[in-house]
Amino acid sequence: MIELTINDKKITVEKGTTILQAALKNGIKIPNLCYDKRLSPYGACRLCVVEVEGQTRLFASCSSLAENGMVVKTDTPKLRKIRQTVLELMLVHHPLDCPVCDKAGECNLQDLTYEYGKTETRFIRHRKESPPDVRGPLVELSSNRCILCGKCVRICDEHQGRGALGLIGRGFPTVVQPAFGEILECDYCGQCIDICPTGALLGKPSKFKARAWFLEEKDTICPFCGCGCTLTLGIREGEILRSRGKEDNGISEGNLCGRGRFGFDYIYSENRLKTPLIRKNGELVPASWDEALVYISDNLRYIMTAHGSSSISAIGSHRCTNEDNYMLQKFMRDVIGSDNIDSSAVFGYALVEKAWEMAFGENRHKIKLKSPFGKEVIFILESDLSITHPVFALNILRAKKEGSHLIVADSRETKLTRHGSQWLRIKPGTGAALLNGIMKIIIDKGLFDRQMVSSRYFRNLEAVLKDYTPQAVCRITGLNEEELITAAEAYVRAKSRMLSLSISVSENTKGLDTILAATNLVNLLNDSPDTLQIPAEYCNTQGAYQMGVRPISHQLSAISYQPEGKDTLEMLYNEDSAIHALYIMGDDPVITFPDSTKIINRLRALDFLVVQDIALTETAKLAHVVLPASSWAEKDGTFTNAEGITQKVCKVVAPTGQSMPDWQIIRNLALRMGKDIGVRNLENIQKEINSSFSYQLSAISYQPCFNPVNYTSAEEPDKEYPLTMVIRDVLQHSGSMSTRSKALDLVVSEALLEINEEDAKRQGILDNSHVKVSSRHGTVYLKARISDEVHEGNVFVSTHFPHARINNLLYPPSNGLSALCTVKVEAVKHP
Amino acid sequence: MERFRANLMLCAGTGCVASGATKVRAALEKELKKRGLKEEITVVLTGCNGYCAQGPVMSVLPDEIFYQSLTVEEVPKLVEEHFLKGRPYEKLMFKEPEKKLAIPLMKDIPFFKHQVLRVLRNKGLIDPEKIEEYIARDGYQAAAKALTQMTSEEVIKVIKDSGLRGRGGAGFPTGLKWEFASKVQSKVKYMLCNGDEGDPGAFMDRSVMEADPHAVIEGMIIGAKAIEAHNGYIYVRAEYPLAVKRLQMAIEQCYDAGLLGKNILDSGFDFDLEIYQGAGAFVCGEETALMRSIEGKRGMPRPRPPFPAHKGLWDKPSVLNNVETLAQIPLIILNGSGWYRSLGTEKSSGTKVFALTGAVNNIGLIEVPMGTPLRTIIYDIGGGIKKGRKFKAVQMGGPSGGCIPESLLDLPVTYEDIVKTGAIMGSGGMVVMDDNNCMVSIAKFFLEFTADESCGKCVPCRVGTRILLDMLADITEGRGKEDDIETLQDLSRDIITSSLCGLGQTAPNPILTTIRYFMDEYESHISQKWCKAGVCRDLCTFFIDEELCKGCGACLRACPSKAIIGEKKKPHKIIQEVCVYCRTCYETCKFNSIKILPAGAHEPKHMLVETKT
Repeated sequence: MIELTINDKKITVEKGTTILQAALKNGIKIPNLCYDKRLSPYGACRLCVVEVEGQTRLFASCSSLAENGMVVKTDTPKLRKIRQTVLELMLVHHPLDCPVCDKAGECNLQDLTYEYGKTETRFIRHRKESPPDVRGPLVELSSNRCILCGKCVRICDEHQGRGALGLIGRGFPTVVQPAFGEILECDYCGQCIDICPTGALLGKPSKFKARAWFLEEKDTICPFCGCGCTLTLGIREGEILRSRGKEDNGISEGNLCGRGRFGFDYIYSENRLKTPLIRKNGELVPASWDEALVYISDNLRYIMTAHGSSSISAIGSHRCTNEDNYMLQKFMRDVIGSDNIDSSAVFGYALVEKAWEMAFGENRHKIKLKSPFGKEVIFILESDLSITHPVFALNILRAKKEGSHLIVADSRETKLTRHGSQWLRIKPGTGAALLNGIMKIIIDKGLFDRQMVSSRYFRNLEAVLKDYTPQAVCRITGLNEEELITAAEAYVRAKSRMLSLSISVSENTKGLDTILAATNLVNLLNDSPDTLQIPAEYCNTQGAYQMGVRPISHQLSAISYQPEGKDTLEMLYNEDSAIHALYIMGDDPVITFPDSTKIINRLRALDFLVVQDIALTETAKLAHVVLPASSWAEKDGTFTNAEGITQKVCKVVAPTGQSMPDWQIIRNLALRMGKDIGVRNLENIQKEINSSFSYQLSAISYQPCFNPVNYTSAEEPDKEYPLTMVIRDVLQHSGSMSTRSKALDLVVSEALLEINEEDAKRQGILDNSHVKVSSRHGTVYLKARISDEVHEGNVFVSTHFPHARINNLLYPPSNGLSALCTVKVEAVKHP
Repeated sequence: MERFRANLMLCAGTGCVASGATKVRAALEKELKKRGLKEEITVVLTGCNGYCAQGPVMSVLPDEIFYQSLTVEEVPKLVEEHFLKGRPYEKLMFKEPEKKLAIPLMKDIPFFKHQVLRVLRNKGLIDPEKIEEYIARDGYQAAAKALTQMTSEEVIKVIKDSGLRGRGGAGFPTGLKWEFASKVQSKVKYMLCNGDEGDPGAFMDRSVMEADPHAVIEGMIIGAKAIEAHNGYIYVRAEYPLAVKRLQMAIEQCYDAGLLGKNILDSGFDFDLEIYQGAGAFVCGEETALMRSIEGKRGMPRPRPPFPAHKGLWDKPSVLNNVETLAQIPLIILNGSGWYRSLGTEKSSGTKVFALTGAVNNIGLIEVPMGTPLRTIIYDIGGGIKKGRKFKAVQMGGPSGGCIPESLLDLPVTYEDIVKTGAIMGSGGMVVMDDNNCMVSIAKFFLEFTADESCGKCVPCRVGTRILLDMLADITEGRGKEDDIETLQDLSRDIITSSLCGLGQTAPNPILTTIRYFMDEYESHISQKWCKAGVCRDLCTFFIDEELCKGCGACLRACPSKAIIGEKKKPHKIIQEVCVYCRTCYETCKFNSIKILPAGAHEPKHMLVETKT
């Protein structure tokens, strides 16, 4: 520990703390414009200079370490004078256009000038020739306001790992610009906007919408991925105008990705539902709440009588709050009397839970966003976490910077592969084989934990792994033996490890087998289950699952259901499942689940379909009744993120039209069906939730167990369908809801088929041209994008966009395997 | 090895090549062949001899006869006289200025007489492209000694005891720097050489790298041994192609000779060395910026601490030494610290190389013991001011330095004495100025350089130097205001106090020293709008003093603008409307009749009327 004195205050800090950090921690303000705790010290603005007793020179406190016995003064006439001069120099070419600048009112330069500056300048002189502004779809850079603190350049490069901005030129004419001064093409995370101390970088969607002092700011949780970042929403006159991250705020500590920052405007989509709709003569027509609820209640009651309660099922939502989901399952179990309730987690989080139980005897998998820190080796398997869980991935990048060895196995070039220490470019969907190969090497070299031999099924594992010699695995994965062995050894020899992957409905490279293989590897080394970090997909995937939105939930209730409930796969893909009515809350299976043709046919065949959502989705268009739900920003509640942390979601704006929070709709419906389920407000639900789940979370004894899996290849490319199609998210979207965001659509608004140049050449496909993509299941037309990130033989598509109907090509995975699909791609001849 | 009756050591430094050394070489070889002397006499191309003012120059060994200002036309005569008839050719010898007597021997010529060559020990004596010649002059003995007979601590102790200070400018004790780095535990360390010489007019390091590349490499091997580094880089600006070429050859020769690479001289010590070419940004001479540049990043300084001895290149402990510093290392190891201290002063030991330029008669590269008075350098070695003009100031330390006036000419050249004047020792640029120089313009010249070379990272340097430059431009163009001097000083001090790196911390020095010693010039520029040196075009008018003018017509003929009229033997006149303020008449007139007055003085309407009639 270091003891020093700052402004007569005795302070004790850890060794390695800078003077500035020491001061800030102790509530002593030192002005600065180029410091951010996420970045390495830069020392450019010179405002943070301090005096140290016994030293003639001034110390830049951002980069000088606190030392024992140091006596520091942060505010002396000498320092005020220097700060005044530095600010005077900055203002020489900073235009005083505060009246038309969105930053005014919350601008660091403005505030510091107010505090330290003087009213007159000695230097009304030559200004920098105003460099051209850089415009992108979401971020605008007005170079003449820039004071060259370099924060944007550094956060983009050091922290985001993107490096889209650079300092161009030297000396006085230096400007911040994208390479070659072109438009800003980047991740659109907008971190540069938050970090900019002036109005040089501003969000375009909120440009000229409101002065900072008219914005009311409220914190809530992001409605997209499972990270659970805190958004600070800026609201004026009942409308959300912007979203930003505030330093140290929430578990994301002020970090946001582009979805969280720009995607909130999906709630202002034109096809938001404003009233209930009832299908009359084949058309959905507006109806009153009364009419709609009576209609639903009558139909459900009829079906219950005619076909029994078990012919009714429901799908809950990772987008809805815990309270909404709890009410849905309660409605199903207590009012309808059916256990047929599930969600999209069946393609993702439910598989993880299943594997956890099988391998570790535990029943709740949570990640830690900070788990990458301090790990000697981080191994990422076939997952682009920078896209699915951007803020989690930031920690991976930081851990790498701090010295972790990052091994990334992926067929596609991603941000993580670019930053990785080792990139294992495997063929898509071969992750399980790779893990088996690594385990085989570990066992053969005797590098595993001997204790584990006595664990259940170790011998089976050994037997299964017999076939996974390095040669065999290299044949499957396309790696060479040396890189395989190097990676295996690096992984096993590390003192601390993290193995991470993602799994969800919108990606098809991994299935249950891959997760089981990963758990085997963890057990083989006798690592704690925490070694494996598989983040839940969406903002409330984990919450919905915990709330009992899944079948077989006898644990949740005293009543057991016979037969046990049907899962999503049963409901949507099995023609013989004897389901007559389906209640879908907050999901759009037609667009986001595989094999849409089949789903459409299935939904059309139902006697009764109710869809409760915020917008008229493709699924809603097939419903008999559509109910308007309030969006995430229009209701109170909680989300449980991938860390298992339950966070408050706040009502920040008024509901759209007659929409209501989902839980309220269900409560009203229950009442209409003659059952008072005893809930009047959120507090009631939360109380109930707390008491219902208290026993469910009691620890089950830890019993590591091996579950040997054989790699089964997915659909193999052949002559007719020569390419393997991989479904992955794109960075700017999440599910299909984000495609209703006008801001995000400015960046990507259609599904692009990414294809390697060689494959494109072979088929005569040009960049940006239309192509016909066919699989054994269907055909779609897309635009092709030639990309060197994609390996020959593979094509990548995302599923988010309703009109593209990518899921026509896919089939639902069976037996937990990955569902890669082979396709052929042909150029479309224009007549 | 072949033996010759005589070796003609022809300087092939950049200066002599520019004045025709290549053609002279061809002529010499042709003539020697013609006269059948090819087997007996050989021409050797050497690195910079230093006496650039008289180039191309050549010394004849073993006679030590020195020839200067060689021309192709004189070559046959020279060969005939000296090598056939055995009579040294007086016409091409140095002439003692007063009695015009020829001085045949190099060591008797004043330019050489006052110098002590340590760094430049091999200049003009060896072919820099041959490792054998370096070895023949005791080359690599020091490296062998350090690697096989000394421990790291012993090496560091000798260097520390020698009092050697970094020759790059700041004068940090080299031994101490090595000691810091040697104490840091790390498998990977770097030994770096700074050859990014960037001061305008300075060419010390280039000459050393061109004339004696092996001395630098040997210094690096010893340094690497001292700090236990096994990798090194020589950072050279790409504008020095000859230095790059020679260093590259030298490195390859070292690898072939087992002096670089694995297990050097069977000592078990490994050291790999390569060249990194910089793109020529001045700021890359700053150590942290230089390291960033080698890393392939934008060359910008970063705050210290951490100091490079702890976290330098690629965050590994690194030592960066200047070319001249490194070239001294082998001598210190071989001869000991006592020998090194025998020259110089207590706090500034040894010798220092200067690039002497400007208004002196003998411009060139010189090496003198520390503590030599400025007057000796300028008047004895430099041969005084050109054309017998009056000395005004000497600029030391380049853009980071300052101007030292006549009153301080007896100052001994040491780190501590120079700093007291407001200038710095710097890397060794020494620009002598006579009374033709306007000190405000001089300050402006250096600020133009620093403002342009500022990397743009920290505010005081990026914006501050530009403001200083703009203010100086205003003063020299007649827009100066009363309080400008005060503002210049105030801003200069703030820039010095608050800048991030050495560039900004020293950039205002030229302004502060010129204000300190030549305040009256600033004042006359601002309040009288008068540049007394006639340099600032907007602040002067040229007149012919009718009483002094003899009507010789020299100015009339010289005027490029035909602005001077007058009949022979009658006083001439300058037509102000067409005068372009080029100063040609002022420099031409032998009778001191051209007067420089403030701008717009004596609006000469009557003269115009006269010319019309």
